[in-house]
Amino acid sequence: MCGIVGYTGNRQALGLLVEGLKRLEYRGYDSAGVVVIGGDGLNLQKAKGMISELEKRLQPAEGTTGLAHTRWATHGRPSDENAHPFLDCTGRMAMVHNGIIENFQELRERLVAKGHRFTSDTDTETIVHLIESHYKGDLVAAVRKACKELRGTYAIAVLHADHPGTLVAARFENPLVVGVSAEGEALLASDVTPLLPYTNDFTFLEDGDVVELKGGAFRITDLAGKRVERPTHHVDWSVEDAQKGGFEHFMLKEIFEQPHAILQSMMGRISDEALEAIAPKNVDKVKIVACGTSYHASLIGKYALEAIAGLDTTVEMSSEYRYSNLARESALVIAVTQSGETIDTISALREAKRRGTRTVAISNVVGSTITREAHDTIYTRAGPEIGVAATKTFTTQLVALYLLAFALGRRQGSLGAEELRRLREELRKLPAKVQQVLNSHEAIKAAAARLKDVRDVYFIGRNINYPAALEGALKLKEISYIHAEGYPAGELKHGPIALLDARTPVVAIVVDDAVRSKMISNIGEVSARDAPVYAVGYEDDLELAKVVDVLLPIPRTDPLFSPVVAVVALQLLAYYVALMRGCSIDKPRNLAKSVTVE
Amino acid sequence: MKAVVLAAGEGTRLRPLTVSRPKVMLRVGDRPILQYAIDALREVGVRDIIIVVGYQKERIQTFFEDGERFGVNISYVAQRKQLGTGHALLCAREHLDSDFLVVPGDNILDGAMIAQLLDHRSEVTVLATESAQPRKYGVLELDGDRVVRIIEKPPRRISNLISTGIYYFEHRFLELLEREVGAGRFELSLAVQTAIDEGFKVRGQLTKGLWLDVVFPWDLLSLNSRVLTDGPSRQAGTVESGVTLVGPVSIGEGSVLRSGTYIKGPVSIGAGCEIGPNVVVYPTTSIGDNVTISPFSEVRNSLVMDNVSIGGHSYISHSIIDEGTTIQSHFVTAAEPKLLLIENELIQIDKIGTIVGESTEIGHRVVVDAGRTIGAYCRVEAGVRIIKDVPDSARVV
Repeated sequence: MCGIVGYTGNRQALGLLVEGLKRLEYRGYDSAGVVVIGGDGLNLQKAKGMISELEKRLQPAEGTTGLAHTRWATHGRPSDENAHPFLDCTGRMAMVHNGIIENFQELRERLVAKGHRFTSDTDTETIVHLIESHYKGDLVAAVRKACKELRGTYAIAVLHADHPGTLVAARFENPLVVGVSAEGEALLASDVTPLLPYTNDFTFLEDGDVVELKGGAFRITDLAGKRVERPTHHVDWSVEDAQKGGFEHFMLKEIFEQPHAILQSMMGRISDEALEAIAPKNVDKVKIVACGTSYHASLIGKYALEAIAGLDTTVEMSSEYRYSNLARESALVIAVTQSGETIDTISALREAKRRGTRTVAISNVVGSTITREAHDTIYTRAGPEIGVAATKTFTTQLVALYLLAFALGRRQGSLGAEELRRLREELRKLPAKVQQVLNSHEAIKAAAARLKDVRDVYFIGRNINYPAALEGALKLKEISYIHAEGYPAGELKHGPIALLDARTPVVAIVVDDAVRSKMISNIGEVSARDAPVYAVGYEDDLELAKVVDVLLPIPRTDPLFSPVVAVVALQLLAYYVALMRGCSIDKPRNLAKSVTVE
Repeated sequence: MKAVVLAAGEGTRLRPLTVSRPKVMLRVGDRPILQYAIDALREVGVRDIIIVVGYQKERIQTFFEDGERFGVNISYVAQRKQLGTGHALLCAREHLDSDFLVVPGDNILDGAMIAQLLDHRSEVTVLATESAQPRKYGVLELDGDRVVRIIEKPPRRISNLISTGIYYFEHRFLELLEREVGAGRFELSLAVQTAIDEGFKVRGQLTKGLWLDVVFPWDLLSLNSRVLTDGPSRQAGTVESGVTLVGPVSIGEGSVLRSGTYIKGPVSIGAGCEIGPNVVVYPTTSIGDNVTISPFSEVRNSLVMDNVSIGGHSYISHSIIDEGTTIQSHFVTAAEPKLLLIENELIQIDKIGTIVGESTEIGHRVVVDAGRTIGAYCRVEAGVRIIKDVPDSARVV
């Protein structure tokens, strides 16, 4: 989604802002722009395309206060004109915006009638003229008045040539974080990554907050102008966490970080006391809400919760949850979002709270919106993930869900102490097993070489590995642009099998569980249509090796945990296919890392 | 000044501990071996470091990343085939524009040594140290501080002075090195000999600093006890009442030490561990992250890596248990002095228990004879006595 960076301090802002934008690059965007307050008014520069495009055209500009923005188009095509920042009619005020304004048509008509001149088709431009119409010399007051009239979601940031050294920002349902450096610089951004070179202590704005950054400090007020205090969160990431460390892509680095990330995600949490501490009481039913990759993790979580905790569990896409009409259909809602800012999931969580349901968030970002709103949070501790395709955040979400299943299983009395001990030991081995999958990356690369020129791929799995098939398909399509679909293996013959032929490979996930023989017969059905079969299966499964064309070997583990190792193999497969096809792996077209608009 | 750190090799003599990590990423004390070189360079102000990686390079890159966490700037260069140290250095050539240092990534060394090298620069300077087993290394023949000859692994004893592999080079040495490597002479010591022959001023500087080498798995145990002795003792986590801690014991965050446990330092315990009740740990033992040790077990002078689980009533002495291995109850390692035949050479070891590779599963009541190795990814059924080395991925019934 769009990214905002703002700086006011004692150094030249232009270069710092562009550096900050690069740290937000992973969020996905299609145009970029920057504005600084110079001696003789504002200096505004923007360009369609990559930040490097903007950098190429960048003219030097003096000024120690400025704003920058990357835009992901919602209203109006990607173009130079539609890029942010936007200016008001006087050209002395500039603004950037994330989110969607719902009543912008109506506001726009009113403002045009008053004589305001618009230069773009965006909803954003409405806001800058709206603020202008309220501006009587007090920028904070003008922003506050404008916010009261806006309907929709926004994080906005404004500067004015009359107030060099000041930034004003406001938030409603779109993330915004502020921080100050030891050198007396004040900064704001859409997430913490651009601020990491300056500080590790951050303050997250809440809905209805308006903040003024000035003289190395910030002051937060509500829409009525009353002073509010927000807590400071310490985020333990370093700048270097967001660098590539000799890897060709962030995605590859993040895939290889998984043994460590998985270890982190379970560390200190698997003792009996620790499990008891996270177990919600009086739960008879569970609903998990999530989007995208987190949705796939949640589906696996459903099988784990049912098998381990014996709890009736349903999973819903966050964006659909609120349309279910039952007032209180579950005793526990688990909201899964990497960034903690996914607006659909946040809305679902709010709806659940409104219905009086207990909520648990699973998130990777300390202090993010969802963690502040949920009753409890389990952090996945994966560290920052920059590649748009989720990898280590997915596998650590699974660990969090397994831990929750253990905890609920103990609380429900459905998981015996001895069975817990066995599962715990198996879980403990996961980092080393994931490492084993990584060790066989050359074999996976060879399989990728055979897949790279196909047009369609089907992924099949059963039981807990059905969602793993969905995730494998998602990884492949999102970074390699090959059409890929995941299916429950049993569904194949109810339709998709008609599409199979010698040019349409099928990737099957087969582990040693109750559905193994069914999977083998499904593979038989596929082979009978001449479709090449790639299987992700146990390295010593000779019977499986005989019936498939290519075996991507994974080490044995309990079937419950097999999706973790299977998905790591599929991540590598997708990565190498995309690499061989020359795709832009870390920033696939049209995709955004954290979707903060509905 | 830039430094090139050589870290591409596997360390095959350390198998099974190197099945999924290079030698330089094995832990000694509280950090991987390679970090000793990085820390030493930073201490003397050398911040621009090029690491030559090869075998399992991802393990190094995900740990050190761009070096910021360690206060240095790291770039990586891949050596695709591990031909030799000279070839490895040449891989970093494009990053070198002036005089530079070369440091082996697989030795324990300290900053004082690097400072000493920087104080005694010649056209080529090599740091020398005395060794009890010079035949395994590049042996130096000195005339004053001038190196007359360098001979790799000489069959007969020439002198006790060996090269530490730590060098200072003037930039022009690279041209010579390129010729040497082009002629198929891949070892750095060969190129240094050629430099001597061609009239380079090659200086040998004797160091008394700490320089330790790891060749075989049990070297890790003796190195660990040397390094841990002066390690800091830091205590996080929960220590239940009735636990006795004697001497320097460091405990990582989130670890729980249960009642009746007795720990005598130097011992280092990682984060997220669960130890006890009634477990005894003696010096000098390093325990990684997320480890459990069940009641009535005793661990002494051993290395237990991450994610290991040790069942109750076990006795582990002078042993190394690699990552992700799980051991059921009543596991016994017999630790005795041992004479081992390795590469046609008899090696006397004071006391050795067992080495167990990663992700191995060991059943109840398994006994291992002194000096035996169990490979990685094995399954050992209950009640077995191990009297021979077990290869990787084996199943023992």
